[in-house]
Amino acid sequence: MAISVGLNCPACGGAIQVAEGDNVLNCGYCGSLLWAEGDAGVMTVAYRNVQGRDSVLRATEQWWRKGWKARDLREKGKLLECYPIYLPFWSTTTRVAGWICGYEERRHTDREGNVRTERIPMEEMVLNDYRYTSIACDPGDLGIRYLRNVGGEASFADFESIPTFESTTSKDEMIATSKQRALEEARGDANVPHITFERVIAIPKGISRIYYPVWVVRYSYGERMYMATVDGVTGNVLSGRAPGDPLYQSLAVTAGTSIGGLIAAGGLAFGLGAGEGLLALIGLVVGGAVLALTYRFFRHGSEIVEGDFEGKAADMRGKLMKEARRTFRGFHT
Amino acid sequence: MRVVQVKCPRCQQPIYSKVKDLAFYCQHCRTMHIRNGGTNIIDFDIAEFSPNARGDRVYMPFWRLFSSFTINQANVAGGTFHKLSRMIKGTANGGNLFIYVPAWETAVDEFKRWSMGMTEGQPMYSLRQDFNNVERGPTAITKEEAMQLADFVVVTMEAERPGTLQYLDYSLQVHDARLVYLPFVRGAQGLVSGL
Repeated sequence: MAISVGLNCPACGGAIQVAEGDNVLNCGYCGSLLWAEGDAGVMTVAYRNVQGRDSVLRATEQWWRKGWKARDLREKGKLLECYPIYLPFWSTTTRVAGWICGYEERRHTDREGNVRTERIPMEEMVLNDYRYTSIACDPGDLGIRYLRNVGGEASFADFESIPTFESTTSKDEMIATSKQRALEEARGDANVPHITFERVIAIPKGISRIYYPVWVVRYSYGERMYMATVDGVTGNVLSGRAPGDPLYQSLAVTAGTSIGGLIAAGGLAFGLGAGEGLLALIGLVVGGAVLALTYRFFRHGSEIVEGDFEGKAADMRGKLMKEARRTFRGFHT
Repeated sequence: MRVVQVKCPRCQQPIYSKVKDLAFYCQHCRTMHIRNGGTNIIDFDIAEFSPNARGDRVYMPFWRLFSSFTINQANVAGGTFHKLSRMIKGTANGGNLFIYVPAWETAVDEFKRWSMGMTEGQPMYSLRQDFNNVERGPTAITKEEAMQLADFVVVTMEAERPGTLQYLDYSLQVHDARLVYLPFVRGAQGLVSGL
């Protein structure tokens, strides 16, 4: 991704285009070869905030209308604060190369019920680039841990006017975590059930510090306080907390308990009546699962939470890894 | 972040290029340097084209790694394990070897093709002093990366043989890395060696 860094060629003064993570640049005007030096080997990039207060509030109001949030949120929600901040993120690219060898076992059962286990040798090559992002400070209650967007114009022009969170996590820690995650993913990609030989290396290709603009919107509903964060580049809502709707909760409880009860009772009646104990057990389990889901929605439905808040981080990590896999394959990035 | 114009550390002339290249070559004094925490002048080789190599000529960079290699134990299901032990110069289980790692940004298949092809073939070539205005492929893999990729190359050579590799106990030590520009000709099927 080519981005403008708001810097000029030291030879001719022309504007410079640079891809995040690249140290070598070419001046498009005079052809000079340029070298970008980051602080302690880390290139720092700040994205330009292109959203304004009005567009952020519009995005928040649209977000209020989506999902299972309180239907009267737009009328009763009161805006308290709306301001931009810069959050620091680490962005790493890690190349994994190697081989994982081993075997998988397949069981075959013949007509007489004899089980034979076949061992199939496997050798899988791993050669991928993985990209990860992670917030470089304590995000507090913002519900943001990863950077989703990597496009946009980069500029330090807003740095003086927008409050900036300082990095509090080390680059070494991020590099080590990225290597570990990349190796784990590579093993997952290889998909060798029983490993007899493994020689895989993880090579850090680059690390950047990205300052990304985020708008924080705080509002109240009734007696309670809520918040949302909006991407300062794309204008999308990144995370937030919003009140749920009691009507949806009641409907869900009514429908969930009815369906769960019917499945459980139906399974029991049909299964026991037909002398099929297993069927009765399945009915009980499925009915119980529906009831458990119903309770979960009832218990947590009073507040709708979206984003990378505690407890949801693991899910997000998995999602980002998949995104990384889709984006970076082979040596072409 | 600071952006500086790349200049030759020997003659101080600015370096111009249309491609991003980690190996900076000065046309004036034929000095090559790399930047990795500092400015380091490096030695490099340029191989002579074969007189029969006609067409669109280009020099592609390889890291040539002088390595010691010892095979302790190996197990291949349904095949044989012999390629490495056959190639290395020394005792039956170990010796020295030049490992070639493509230094340009390349697709996986091409990386395998040229790293294995050059390491197996151990190219012989005569040297020349300059590039003779032939295009030079940009270096995108650092010396440190290449040294780490040496492991990958040697295991790939065994794994690509008939049979399924199940176990390989070996030790590999890279003693020296040198940037080598080998001649190629661009053809319809991609790069063809110009040696």
